[in-house]
Amino acid sequence: MRRRNLLQAALSSGLASGVMPSNATEPLCRKAGLQARLELVANSFPVMQHLAKIATGCNGGDLQVNFKLTPRVKYEVETAFASAGKSPFDAAVVSAGVFSDLYARSQIYPLTDLVRKYGARYQLEERMLVRMDGEVMAIAFMQNTQNLYYRRDLFERHRIAIPATYDQMLQAAKLLRVKEPGIANPIAQTFAQGWDLATEFTNLLFSMGGRFFIPGSAEPAFHSSEGVSTVALMRSLLPYMSPNALSSNSDDVMNQLQQGRAAMGVLWASRAARMDDPSASRVIGLIDFAAAPAARLGGTSAAHLWWDGVVLPRNGPAQREATFQVLMEMLSADSVAAGNDLTIWVRGNYKPGRTGVGVELAMAGGAKTWPAEPFFTLAHAQVGKVLADAIKGIRDPAQALAGAAASYRLAAIEKGYIREGHA
Amino acid sequence: MKRKSFLQFSAPSLLLMLALLAFPMLMTLWLSVCNCTPQMALVTVQQTGPFGATTVTTQRAKVDATGRALLDCSFVGLNFYRNILGMDKSNANGNETSPTKQGSAGDGYNEFIGALRFTLLYTILTTPFILVGGLAMALAMNHVTHRLKGLFIAASLLPFIITPVVGALSIKWLFRDDGLVPYLLQQVGIQVFWMAQAWSAQLLVIFYGIWHVMPFAFIVFYAGLQGVPQDSLEAARLDGASRWQQFRYVTLPHLASLLVFVTLIHLMDAYRVFEPVLVLTRGAFTTSVQYLTYAVLLEENNAYKASAAAILTLIGIGVLLIPLLRRTWREQRGSD
Amino acid sequence: MKSSTITARIALHLGLGAWLLLACLPIFWMVLISLRDYVDAFSSPLKWVAPITFENYRRLWVAQAFYLNFFNTAVVTLSVVTVSLTVGCLAGYAFSRYRGSLGFWLLLVALAFRAIPHSTLLPAFFSMFDAMGIRNTIFALVLVLVAINQPFTIWMLRSFFMHIPAELDEAAQIDGCTRAQAFRRVIVPVMWPGIVTTGLFSFLLAYNDFLLSSALTNGEKMTMPAAIANAITAESETLLMQGVAGAVSITIPLILLVAFFQKQIVSGLTQGAVKG
Repeated sequence: MRRRNLLQAALSSGLASGVMPSNATEPLCRKAGLQARLELVANSFPVMQHLAKIATGCNGGDLQVNFKLTPRVKYEVETAFASAGKSPFDAAVVSAGVFSDLYARSQIYPLTDLVRKYGARYQLEERMLVRMDGEVMAIAFMQNTQNLYYRRDLFERHRIAIPATYDQMLQAAKLLRVKEPGIANPIAQTFAQGWDLATEFTNLLFSMGGRFFIPGSAEPAFHSSEGVSTVALMRSLLPYMSPNALSSNSDDVMNQLQQGRAAMGVLWASRAARMDDPSASRVIGLIDFAAAPAARLGGTSAAHLWWDGVVLPRNGPAQREATFQVLMEMLSADSVAAGNDLTIWVRGNYKPGRTGVGVELAMAGGAKTWPAEPFFTLAHAQVGKVLADAIKGIRDPAQALAGAAASYRLAAIEKGYIREGHA
Repeated sequence: MKRKSFLQFSAPSLLLMLALLAFPMLMTLWLSVCNCTPQMALVTVQQTGPFGATTVTTQRAKVDATGRALLDCSFVGLNFYRNILGMDKSNANGNETSPTKQGSAGDGYNEFIGALRFTLLYTILTTPFILVGGLAMALAMNHVTHRLKGLFIAASLLPFIITPVVGALSIKWLFRDDGLVPYLLQQVGIQVFWMAQAWSAQLLVIFYGIWHVMPFAFIVFYAGLQGVPQDSLEAARLDGASRWQQFRYVTLPHLASLLVFVTLIHLMDAYRVFEPVLVLTRGAFTTSVQYLTYAVLLEENNAYKASAAAILTLIGIGVLLIPLLRRTWREQRGSD
Repeated sequence: MKSSTITARIALHLGLGAWLLLACLPIFWMVLISLRDYVDAFSSPLKWVAPITFENYRRLWVAQAFYLNFFNTAVVTLSVVTVSLTVGCLAGYAFSRYRGSLGFWLLLVALAFRAIPHSTLLPAFFSMFDAMGIRNTIFALVLVLVAINQPFTIWMLRSFFMHIPAELDEAAQIDGCTRAQAFRRVIVPVMWPGIVTTGLFSFLLAYNDFLLSSALTNGEKMTMPAAIANAITAESETLLMQGVAGAVSITIPLILLVAFFQKQIVSGLTQGAVKG
């Protein structure tokens, strides 16, 4: 058993050091002589793989870092942080939404003291610190949003202005479908039933001026007239999208743009660089980016701002100093430089390049941060279940949304956000 | 064998199953009638981060002296069961509605019933194809020349031994938009977007099921065919029986117990269908009962509700299996 | 008469051969696209011919350290098969020789256990293993897979054992062996083909498991199916292509297995499973 562990550790650390930039000095985490066995967890995106390699590069001597990369990170983290015993993970990389959930359940360990102690050594920037009432609760390192991707060459050729509202986007699509025979479905957007579709709805609903909840409560408000208008808007997009739109996830949608079958769409900003990759794209250099259009004239850009960061659990093992130092090593300026194009980093030394300007564009367009209520994910999930039928016209949108609101209420009662018997 | 020896020999196996199958099931049963929620209070928080500062009014759990959230655990009886089966009476504004309005969906659609319906549909539709196809293949394979037999048998087993996730993915990549199958269909003028609507997605899952399990039926029947008593066949042939009659009166009865065996195994596995639903539909348009439990557990993160879904699933398979189990046991008993 | 039989036979071979090719088509296609870049593998419209590249395999096996996953799968699978067969043989033998009604009920219950959907056991497993501190271990995964495998293993082995006449046991016991010695020295060698066949089914279950493996293992300890599932859902074209390469990599040992063992499978099943 022991021999195999050493073998595995040697192999993985050897691998990691093979990947590190050759001009990197020995990591601080190795010099610090830490003694611990750490378990970390994150999603399995390429940027996380990069970070995992750096974190496991700290292996050696008495320090062993294990990194679990899984798409089910949300579940793993929620279960681990809620456990009555010790959390199996020392730290996790979570998105802003999951952070809100964990924070609301008081399951996050405050990092203020650790930041004070190690911040200067690892050059932590204020922008990276997520504070709640002054206490640092998470260290954010990457950000994301949705942008409008559009074929600059086609727009220029047919003298189409960059759409500022979805109506203008529809006009552009109508024109392109007629003028460009190879583009039968000009709009490529992630309408996959479930999480993706609910996210599109969220973006558009807020841009419409709608709300998810009655302010100051957990009562649903998304089944309002704005909600119905949002569904109608999404429905009007369908004729210009692939007939498979309601099962197209972001990979499929990216593919449509990369293969030149679609001309525009609102997609994740972090994936912009893939448009210029010769092993993946046939439209290199032809795609430009803009803030997502607004749902109606005068509305804000229909997008939200996301961040991902590291958090420590309140019920974690008592090796927080070691954990924190390894995390800081992972999020250092060097690691950003080494993986510059993998995502949109928060750190100041990030060089955006042509494809990295997404977040700036969105912020300029007035996009706000993703909703932070802990019960938001429940509503999001219920909306995701009914949207596909509502958009296709199989169910009346008002009824569908009302049904989702009722389901959400039940889920919120089950989780304790709404006390039964109260309005 | 004496009972004492019996227990001694089977102890390790029984203990393993007790600890890792029976005990977790009991735990699941217990979880399904409980619910633990934190006590929530309204708070207003100043949040600063990469995008600046905002003030958020939200809810936070009340905490005890050590900072851990206070949990309200209570026995909720059949609440989750009612929820899953759509028998909860409530609408969007929190008022009670008449019991005739089915489920919280408001217009009669219930996820669990839908999942159950598809799971049963899948089970019922795949079984005959698997049995007939497997039998046909076994009969055909019997006439294949000896030299090619090894190759043919190996090739036929491939869809069965392939990892289900990999198999489902390979089918997805074949049927995706601009995939090989839609391309060929387009050459003959048919255009189908397989993942775009319920009937085609369901068809794909069913097709996967047949593709994956037919080789299992084939190999079991083929093995059984090797054991058909040759003298009975000879006797039937001499008596002037046609090939069909030989098959019907000699071969088929010999294979009867194998047919039941394969059906039984397949029913159990079909009911648990998961990988193709995960890969081919991701729960859109079609769910199966195991996928639903998985989704409630991992995506809604409600272990209690998922446990209720799990118990309902188990009840379902119990109902399905009991008649067949009794039949199998009588066969076994009879042949001892 | 002869010529129509020959025509019939040729037709049979062609028909069956075509059917088999069709059945293996998804696998062929998967192998083909694993040797292409993403832009050619998932191109629109379809590309019949495209440049061949081994980049996906290189990235998967070298950069992503897939050989670690392969190693884990090997360890898990071999352990599960060994323990499963050992424990299962004892139990299967016992069930085959015991005539009491306890045996009947236990067997029925075990068979019912086989019907349990694996996702329903997860919450219980998580809390149990966390409490024991063995959550991210190969040991826990092996235990779980062995337990899940037991019902089918016992059932299969039992029906094989039932074909070995009890007279053999009695003869050995008359010669002075205890039950256990009779089992080990006389019965098991005779049972060997049946054990191999059951072992192969055990192997398949452990090798192909996805749900439990991905839930109970972390990073380096992941088995191959869990690792490629990650790659495929990671929203990245590079990782997706690595996932395709991984899917093919997982399948190759299985193809070799079935090529070499198909005779054993058939003969084993013929011997023992005739009675179900």
